[in-house]
Amino acid sequence: MFSNTLLSAVLWLPLAGAIILMAFPRRAEGAIKATALGISLLTFVLSLLIVTRFQGATAAFQLTETRDWIPDWGIQYALGVDGISLWLVLLTTFLTPIVLLSSWYSIRKHPKEYVIAMLALEFGMLGAFFALDLILFYVFFELMLIPMYLIIGVWGGKNRIYAAIKFFIFTIAGSLLMLIAILDLGWLHAKQMGSASFAITDLYGLTIEPREQLLLFIAFTLAFAIKVPLVPLHTWLPDAHVEAPTGGSIILAGVLLKLGTYGFVRFVLPFFPDATAEWAWLLGLLAVIGIIYGALIAWVQPDMKKLVAYSSVSHLGFCVLGIFAMTQASVTGSILQSINHGISTGALFLLVGVIYDRRHTRLLADFGGLARVMPIFTVLFIITALSSVGLPGLNGFVGEFLILAGSFRTMPRLTIAATTGVILAAIYLLWLVQKVFFGPVIHKENENLPDLRWNELLAVSPLIVMMVWIGLYPAPFLSRIEPSVQQLLAISSRGGNERMVLGWTPDEDPAAAAARARAEALRAVEGESR
Amino acid sequence: MTLVPILEPNWMRAILPEMILSVAGLILILLDAFAPRLRPFFSQLTVLALVATGFASLRAPGGTFFGGTYEISALTLLFDLVFILATLLATLLSREYLARERLEGGEYFALILWGTVGMMMMAKGLDLLIVILGLELLSICIFVLVGAHRRIAISNEASLKYFLMGAFATGFILYGTALLYGMSGSTSFTGLSTWYRGVPEAPPLLTLAVVMMMGGFGFKLALAPFHGWAPDVYQGSPTPVAAWLSTAPKAATLVALIRIWHALSGGAAPPAWSGIIAVLSVLSMMVGNLVAIAQRDLKRMLAYSGIAHVGYMMIAIYVLRPESVAAITVYAMTYVLMNVGAFGVVSLLRKNQNDPQTLDDIAGLGFRHPFYGFVLAICMLSLAGIPPTAGFMAKLLLFKVAIEAGAIWIAIVGIVASIFSTYYYLRVVYYLYMKDADEPVVEPDRGIFSMAALGIAVIGIVTIGLLPAPLFRGALAAAAVMLRTIP
Repeated sequence: MFSNTLLSAVLWLPLAGAIILMAFPRRAEGAIKATALGISLLTFVLSLLIVTRFQGATAAFQLTETRDWIPDWGIQYALGVDGISLWLVLLTTFLTPIVLLSSWYSIRKHPKEYVIAMLALEFGMLGAFFALDLILFYVFFELMLIPMYLIIGVWGGKNRIYAAIKFFIFTIAGSLLMLIAILDLGWLHAKQMGSASFAITDLYGLTIEPREQLLLFIAFTLAFAIKVPLVPLHTWLPDAHVEAPTGGSIILAGVLLKLGTYGFVRFVLPFFPDATAEWAWLLGLLAVIGIIYGALIAWVQPDMKKLVAYSSVSHLGFCVLGIFAMTQASVTGSILQSINHGISTGALFLLVGVIYDRRHTRLLADFGGLARVMPIFTVLFIITALSSVGLPGLNGFVGEFLILAGSFRTMPRLTIAATTGVILAAIYLLWLVQKVFFGPVIHKENENLPDLRWNELLAVSPLIVMMVWIGLYPAPFLSRIEPSVQQLLAISSRGGNERMVLGWTPDEDPAAAAARARAEALRAVEGESR
Repeated sequence: MTLVPILEPNWMRAILPEMILSVAGLILILLDAFAPRLRPFFSQLTVLALVATGFASLRAPGGTFFGGTYEISALTLLFDLVFILATLLATLLSREYLARERLEGGEYFALILWGTVGMMMMAKGLDLLIVILGLELLSICIFVLVGAHRRIAISNEASLKYFLMGAFATGFILYGTALLYGMSGSTSFTGLSTWYRGVPEAPPLLTLAVVMMMGGFGFKLALAPFHGWAPDVYQGSPTPVAAWLSTAPKAATLVALIRIWHALSGGAAPPAWSGIIAVLSVLSMMVGNLVAIAQRDLKRMLAYSGIAHVGYMMIAIYVLRPESVAAITVYAMTYVLMNVGAFGVVSLLRKNQNDPQTLDDIAGLGFRHPFYGFVLAICMLSLAGIPPTAGFMAKLLLFKVAIEAGAIWIAIVGIVASIFSTYYYLRVVYYLYMKDADEPVVEPDRGIFSMAALGIAVIGIVTIGLLPAPLFRGALAAAAVMLRTIP
């Protein structure tokens, strides 16, 4: 089934679901929620097919689909996955049903529009990860702003309008400048190769003079730095997170921010190798500032959700540091850590949402001693917190270790500074756990809080399973990421003309490409050991 | 110039669209006088006439007519379709609006049809006199239509304001034309172009003529700093008229402007003059978008947004080349769909037309009337240029042309201006979905004709947004032909 159109099927299914749901009568809430959940689960199952068909040893884009979209300009509807995007796609399809499940009871206002917005959002995110054409990527990159804007603005907290508009304007300001840079890249391709193209693999082959590279680099970096977000462009994130409904926060932290790190890996490093080599230190520095600053701010937050939001700033700093350290281990670690962060921070937001639904407050001071009242909740929360801290045996450790070990080779001083972030994370998260769960029950209202409901338990459990799985046995994940990272780094190194040697060409036989990529990878490994 | 009329064998079929519209207008006026009972069917008759015109346009033979003063080509066909689309949507929106406001009458639809004839003449004329004739025909229709609300003060004010200032602007255009004729001895674009390439150095009077014409056309286009009339006139005119007035006439004027500009530049505009265009463009984008942020009246906000959008389109004239003509064509088509859609929802608000229609009137509309809310939201996103709407594709084409011409700076100005604009376009979405209505709630009308118009607009916006390739290809081919016909 779907031998050539698997990616399209995964991509369009959520949108088709959203359109079908529009026809449902508003009163049939149960049917609407169940249908939406069913569609998102079906999408997840289909996306598992991607994993089974994915050839782990190959660096090239797989399961590709290419159709003309605007042929006069060489714009294509081109989809594909490689090791860099594979797990991000899975993360997206994995988190969407969890979000729908977790907000089963908590969204009372306009539930129909809420699930439609969620499915539309999933469509946008998947498209951005699948797109192999820059214009197509850009369309999806902006497309997902609209449902997210509505999710924050309609279902958010008290200050939601301010947060929604700030989110939208910040993101679009960055991405519109990137649009100019994208058009310029296409024009460069037309000038150098004789025909316009926005295909990522075609653009990898461009030779761009350093000055222009720097300007384009700035435009792209700004867009993704806002999305990640890097200090000092992060101010929209705490507002958006605090005001967004639980489901919105999970998706925002889990997937949307990852588009920033994904953009760095996919576009910035390989398109602008010279500019990257020159300015990697600055981005590394900003990342480390983010790690420490985010952690310190998180430490003093009286509000749980704000604490988790600032911890995101800190954790994503690790990912960015790993990317710009540009070693095999650090970039692989960054990609894995993007997934890990999606799982553990997603779970943290979910659990904070659980507590908020019961008490309508998130202030640390309003809790205490919950361990006795909500034992299951407590256990799950502590596992999640430890995973976020980076305890060995859970997923966070694997990612952070790879990033720090890899980054140390190229950015030793920054890496040492970043390591303090791990310690700070332990402090603020354990602080949170202690304040909320241990000690006596101070507030009477907390004495009879019900433990997790069925939908909440069902939503959290898969996340916990993934934390343990990646923590204990990350090999299946890493082995699929590594070949693509290796090739990417080869393209992104300052190799000049050699860059094209490793490039994937659409005409090449996939098997031959796989063999060649493997040979290249082996040669590279040999070179390193010597 | 020969004074003997030259009639090419095909001339009847060539101007059949114009003739259908003119005759239909006459019939409507006569029916209004002699069979007033038929009034409820006038809008259907108008739609019928427009559809017939569309077919006539499609079948019109290409070439130049009337001694080389009238061009029928793929490009004029595309613009004919833009005008017909705008008029069709305005007609559909008018029917229930006029019934509600008790303004029914044959002259309303007749004037809209004749105005369309004027626009077609502007787009097809290869001689300044034809363009000015078309412009005048259009303007006179607009004067009357803007004042259609006879009993409402702001409507009268708008009509008078547009009449006085419009007459003044036409004066400027005529004066510029006279200067051009005085220097070159010709009013045809071919003649002007030949003359311009023959003179060793541009005479100083030419600069004056160009400035005069730009002032006049700038007024018609509502370019900053000639935009002062637009908010008042849009606010005062019946909303369907504002929808029509804010889209199609601007497209017609742009075609005429391209022709003049091309004739006087011989392919490469002298820097001093393109400087004028750049200044007008940047000023319009900035003033339009920044002042729109301060507006609470929807029609005034759309007026300022329109100023900014013409500013975007001027980018293409600044870097004049075949692709930029294509970009303007696509943008004009898109702009008709999204702006008429937006005005269309406003026209449905059941309110005393003397009072402003503000953002508060649409609060919560998205959940009370999902269809209207959806249409307005899509139109706003399209105006803001957010994918997957037509507005994004149109802007993409525009900025692409600018970048390929090496004018990245003006594309960046355009981008910065669009960042400002997202604020007020999104504010509309905010009012639609995130704000609860104040009492008393302004209920919108539910009319089948208006709904049809909104449906066409939304389908058009999404279709061009998702599958723009055919329109792009058609526009590119048409534009290439157009710029070749002028030597």
